[in-house]
Amino acid sequence: MNHIPDTVNLSRMHPVGEPDKPILRLEAIRKKFGEHVVLDDVNISLKSGEVVAIIGPSGSGKSTLLRCVNMLGPATSGRVVIGDLVIDEAVPPTAQQLTQLRRSVGMVFQSFNLFPHMSVLRNVSLPQERVLGRSRKDANKRSLELLARVGLEDKADQYPARCSGGQQQRIAIARALALEPQIMLFDEPTSALDPELGLEVLAVMQELARSGMTMLVVTHEMNFAETVSDRVIIMADGKIIEEGASREVIRNPTSDRAKRFLKAVKDR
Amino acid sequence: MSDIAAFWLDSLPQLLAGLSISLQVTGAALAIGFPLGLLLALGVQSKVKAVKLPSLCLVEIGRGAPALVVLQFAYFGLPQGGLTLSAFAAAVFALAWNTGAYTSEIIRAGLESVPFGEIEAASAMGMLPRDTLRFVIIPQGLRVAAPALLGFAVAVLQATSLCFAIALPELTSNAYMIGTITFRYMEILSLAGILYAAICVPATIAVGVLEQRLGKHAL
Repeated sequence: MNHIPDTVNLSRMHPVGEPDKPILRLEAIRKKFGEHVVLDDVNISLKSGEVVAIIGPSGSGKSTLLRCVNMLGPATSGRVVIGDLVIDEAVPPTAQQLTQLRRSVGMVFQSFNLFPHMSVLRNVSLPQERVLGRSRKDANKRSLELLARVGLEDKADQYPARCSGGQQQRIAIARALALEPQIMLFDEPTSALDPELGLEVLAVMQELARSGMTMLVVTHEMNFAETVSDRVIIMADGKIIEEGASREVIRNPTSDRAKRFLKAVKDR
Repeated sequence: MSDIAAFWLDSLPQLLAGLSISLQVTGAALAIGFPLGLLLALGVQSKVKAVKLPSLCLVEIGRGAPALVVLQFAYFGLPQGGLTLSAFAAAVFALAWNTGAYTSEIIRAGLESVPFGEIEAASAMGMLPRDTLRFVIIPQGLRVAAPALLGFAVAVLQATSLCFAIALPELTSNAYMIGTITFRYMEILSLAGILYAAICVPATIAVGVLEQRLGKHAL
């Protein structure tokens, strides 16, 4: 079988049912704020179970791109394709499309965004009840399993304010996983944490990656990008400037811009 | 001194009856006014013009017109339009409107204090806007607004004294009536003041305690 570069539009090349069929495709994503172009023809394709890290300098459009995937901040044009769901970024999605999209894609934020007035257990259970229609009992059962998975079952009855940042982020991951997403987006999940607390979150993400979750991770953690992700994408000025196997991209970047960025990161 | 005490003791039943009516008006005005305030707060934020504009009108008139004017309008004005309200109903109508208009701003500020990230997270999880409103925004927004709302409740109790103008036999009216008969205005109005304070001062302290409790889970 021919090797097809990941950025190429694969829609017609891979018929339905093909094992290598991408689970998520971003096609020609463009986003402008007025005259300012923040995303310029970005194409990304993820296979099921693949972990892709997006790195790059601040303001390169990494987080903006992530927010286009689940339409939290739609792009000016382009398409997001998840299975048979095709979202045109330029058109407001129907309620049904949006529901399908948000159920397929989980997201973890830099600032955790837990609900502070609810216990940890309620934080994880409420969305299951409202979005998936699970009973309180089933939701709680699932929540406790997931809290155990992120090592926090003993925090179930606490409130988020009583948990460290690292714990809060792990709860946020459990909350997103509880909705059984096909794909998980991580928007700088460790940037608000001190290095030690960041590690416990990265450990959870590593375990998640090993379990076969498809993940798109915007990060500044070079070690995670290099060792956990299958591929690394480097973005600058709204464009993908380099992408490929993680180790290769991080060790031997080809473009000057990528070299400059990676040197700055490594020399810290 | 014992003369004043005897006068107060004599007058007390009538003043307590008045206080009871003041509290009933306050209770009814708040029971209608707070939910109205929440509805108006949501209405003012609505993107639907047919909801937003009437809400805005109710809020601006309620805040712009003095409570005394609304009160007299309800009692003396509405009958001209064919709607005759009892003094009690007119008092509740006017103070509920006033409460709704003012508290809508307090509640709106509370709702807006809920961090946008939480709303975004709820939305990213596929929660419907009405669920996000119900489970995330309103519970937290009202918690933020609660101390100011209870502070306003104290002010509403004091505002019931305006009902004196529509001959509702509440605390101030009754005190005044006793004054007109005995000419001992100073003593009787002092007692009325003490009775208002007996409710308002503990209520204010309770608000302070509540404020501390509600901040417990803040991040």
